[in-house]
Amino acid sequence: MKISRDEAKRIADLAHLAFDDAALDRMAAEMTKILTYIDQLAEVDISGAAGFSPPTPTPLREDVPGSQPADPARNAPAWDDGYFVVPKVIGE
Amino acid sequence: MSDTVASALRAIAELNPRLNAVLRVNENAPEGRPIALKDNIVTTDMPTSCASRILPGFVSPFDATVVSRLRAAGWSIVAKTNLDEFAMGSSTEHSAFGVTRNPWNLDCVAGGSSGGSAAAVAARMVPAALGSETGGSVRQPAALCGVIGLKPTYGRVSRNGLVAFASGLDQIGIVTKTARECAELLGVIAGHDPLDSTSSARPVDDYTADCGAGVRGLRFGVVREAVEKLEGEVRANFEAALDVLRRGGGIVEEASVPAIGHAIAVYYIVANAEASANLSRFDGVRYGHRSAGGGTLKELYFRSRGEGFGDEVKRRIMLGTFALSAGYYDSYYGRAQAVRALMRADFSSAFEKFDYLLTPTTPEPAFRIGAKTDDPLSMYLSDIFTAPANLVGIPAIAVPSGFSKERLPLSLQIMAPHFGERALFRAAAFFEGETGYAMSRAPFSPL
Repeated sequence: MKISRDEAKRIADLAHLAFDDAALDRMAAEMTKILTYIDQLAEVDISGAAGFSPPTPTPLREDVPGSQPADPARNAPAWDDGYFVVPKVIGE
Repeated sequence: MSDTVASALRAIAELNPRLNAVLRVNENAPEGRPIALKDNIVTTDMPTSCASRILPGFVSPFDATVVSRLRAAGWSIVAKTNLDEFAMGSSTEHSAFGVTRNPWNLDCVAGGSSGGSAAAVAARMVPAALGSETGGSVRQPAALCGVIGLKPTYGRVSRNGLVAFASGLDQIGIVTKTARECAELLGVIAGHDPLDSTSSARPVDDYTADCGAGVRGLRFGVVREAVEKLEGEVRANFEAALDVLRRGGGIVEEASVPAIGHAIAVYYIVANAEASANLSRFDGVRYGHRSAGGGTLKELYFRSRGEGFGDEVKRRIMLGTFALSAGYYDSYYGRAQAVRALMRADFSSAFEKFDYLLTPTTPEPAFRIGAKTDDPLSMYLSDIFTAPANLVGIPAIAVPSGFSKERLPLSLQIMAPHFGERALFRAAAFFEGETGYAMSRAPFSPL
C-alpha cells in the first residue's frame, strides 16, 4: 500500500497531529514500507474465520457516578475556578 | 541481591548513571520488599511520565490496583523504570529520556518496551519489577537481559492504573530472577477488580504449588512455523532447551500453528488501531503538555500532540488512524481481526494435543544500540515470537536458556492455555532448576 504525501496529510488531520513538510514525507515513506509488509494479510484465506465471533464481549460496569478523589486542577495546564481553560471555540 | 529498600536505593544510585534503567526513585519509600514499576503504572507518590514529553510533572490522583495490592502485601515501590514512550517499542530507544543499556553489554539494548524493568532486575537493583505487555514488552526485554518475564492471561491482572496503549491486548507483567518469585508476585497482583471490567472473576490460583513437580509426562509442542527458519546459535540453544525438557521426562513433539506467521502484521493493525483511540486523550487540555503556540482549540490539539509525542508514537497513531479510516477499515482492521480469529483457533487446536507450546522468546540476542532505529519494521519483527500470545490472550513466560557466543542471554518461551499460569511456573521452575541460568550474574551488577 503506497501512502502518498496527500494521504499522510489526510490521516494526520484525522489524528490531530501537526507535522512539518519533511516529517510528513518521512512518515509517508515509513507507512508505505510497513503497510507493504502488512499487505501479506490480503493473501490469507479468511473464509474459515467467518464463523468465529469475538471470544467474549467486553463486559461493562454500571455507568453510575462514583467518588472522584482527584483534584483536577493539579495536572491541568490551565485552570480557572473549576474549569479547564481553552481557546475560544464559538465562532471559530 | 538488593532485598531491602536501603540496599535497592544504594544499588540504583551506583548503577543507574550507566544503565539508565530507572527514571525516578522514591527516597522516602517505606520499609518493605523493594520493587520497581514501569513508569506507565500510576502511583500517587511519584510522577508518571510514560517516558514521554507529553506528560511533564503528571502525578496520578490514584494508585493503580496492582500498586494498592503490592503495598498491602508489604512491598515497597522504590523506583519507576524506563520504557519506550507509551510502551511503544522493543528497545527503550524510543524513550524521551534516553536508552536503557543492557547489564550484560552496555553497547546493547535492554529490549523493550519494559527495558528498564528488565535491566533493573538483571543488574540486581531490585529483586522484582512490574512491566506491561501489549506484544511482548515484558518477555522480550526479560529475554535480552537474562531474567524471567511473565505475561499473564489477558484479564488475570487488573489494568486499572496502567496507562492504556491497546486495551484489548494490554496486560501487566512481572520480571524476576526466578520462576518461584514470579509466581509469588502473580499471587499478589492477580484477581478481579471492579475498576477493570475486563479483569477475570476466576479465583486466583496457588501459583507456586507445582514449582517442584517436574515435567514428567507433560506434553510440549514445538511450534513448527516459528522455529523452521531459526539458524545458528539461537537454533542450537533452543534445541538444547528441548533436550532439558526431554531428560526430565517431558514429551516434546512438533506442533502446528499455521497462522502464527502473520502475527506481526495483525498486531501492528490491531494494536495501533486501539492506540490511536486511546492516545486521543492527550490533547493538552486536561493534563500534560500544552503548546505555547496559541491559536484556535484545534490548533492547540495539533500542536500539543505534535510537540509532545515522539516519532514512534506518531507513527503508530498514524498507522492506527489509517487502519480505522473510511475506505480501509474492512481491508485492514477487519481482515486483521479475521486472521487473529484464525490464529486463536490454531492455538486452541494445538492445546488439545499439548500442555505447552514452545518457541525461543526472541529471534536473536540483544542487538546493538542504534542497529534498528532507522528501520521501524525490523524493530517490529523483534516481537515475532511474543506477539501471538497477546493476540490470543494466553499466558507465556520467558526463561533464561543460556548464552550466545558473545555472552548475551538467550531465552526459551513457554506458552500455556488461558489461565494456565500455575502450569507455566511448573515448567519454568523445572527448566530453571535443571539449567541454573537464572542464577548467572550480569557483568554490570553489584558484587
